[in-house]
Amino acid sequence: MSRCDFKIVLLGSEHVGKTSLVLRFVNCRFNADIPYQNTVGAAFCAKTMQSNGKDFNVGIWDTAGSERYEAMTKIYYRGAHAAIICYEPSSIESWNRLRHWLLELRTVEENCKVYLCGTKKDLLDGGNVNREVPEDIVKTYSLEQNGHFLTSSKTGENVAWPAGGSGDPNAARVERGPASGIRCSQHVFFQAFRGKNKEYCLC
Amino acid sequence: MEDVLDEVVSSEDLQKFERIFHEQLHQGKVTHKAQFEYAWCLVRSKYPTDIRKGILLLKELFNSHPDGKRDYLFYLAIGNARIKEYNKALHYVKAFLEIEPANQQVLALERQINKRMEKEGLIGMAVAGGAVLAIGGIVGLGIALASRK
Repeated sequence: MSRCDFKIVLLGSEHVGKTSLVLRFVNCRFNADIPYQNTVGAAFCAKTMQSNGKDFNVGIWDTAGSERYEAMTKIYYRGAHAAIICYEPSSIESWNRLRHWLLELRTVEENCKVYLCGTKKDLLDGGNVNREVPEDIVKTYSLEQNGHFLTSSKTGENVAWPAGGSGDPNAARVERGPASGIRCSQHVFFQAFRGKNKEYCLC
Repeated sequence: MEDVLDEVVSSEDLQKFERIFHEQLHQGKVTHKAQFEYAWCLVRSKYPTDIRKGILLLKELFNSHPDGKRDYLFYLAIGNARIKEYNKALHYVKAFLEIEPANQQVLALERQINKRMEKEGLIGMAVAGGAVLAIGGIVGLGIALASRK
């Protein structure tokens, strides 16, 4: 783990879209043609992010959500600076499991920052699914954590940088531009990296 | 930490899952879960003997527990790549892709394996190139010595 300046870990029940979130962030794309693929163990991705004009190597561990991996994925929580716990607003089950994921995380990493992430916002906005998790409950629960985001890996909303958009050849350049700090403050990975008070620790 | 092939298991984790496996073995009934978790630790060990042991356990699982096939294939590929058995590793990658084509995780693993083969292949060639130069030098010296007579 020595080549990582900052470690982010993704948690959440299976099928909520953790891998799609990471792929959208790292590769700036979403492929609707690929069928659902259950993550094996945990997948690792790295991305360079900037803070105060300095480059940081951010490592992201995308853990498997299925129960058979539970004992194994815990190992990847170790040393995480930030955790993004995902749920689907249209699935109360995935929300009910959130507390479980949080407890699992806390047994390993007490001080890690926690961001909640409601996925598949496009389905919610488009009326394709019904919201099962009441917004006020999310709001109350989020107060105890470092932040809450509603994201769409399909459109890139709150995941990718708004200037780039999907498939934008300039996306890579834009996201590292000096002005990007303001633009992407609503971005889940950016917040996880920079933190609420623009602090980050390099332990 | 560049990729999954670099990840090394901590000795506490290895011991923890080893203990569970051996307890079950002692009781005469090893669950798939315990064997898989132990094997998963072994193939991520820094010692090739551990990795080989992990590969054996995974092969056993592969033959006895069809439900977990894709998981076993994935870690069989990782284990073999880690002991530089790249061709075997690629064989398992191919078998996985037959079950689930276009799996991003496995395609990424395949790229990593190819990258390593390429890198190590080039290093091998450089060593061979150096040897050619050295032999050339000795032959040259021999000719020079012979011509002095």
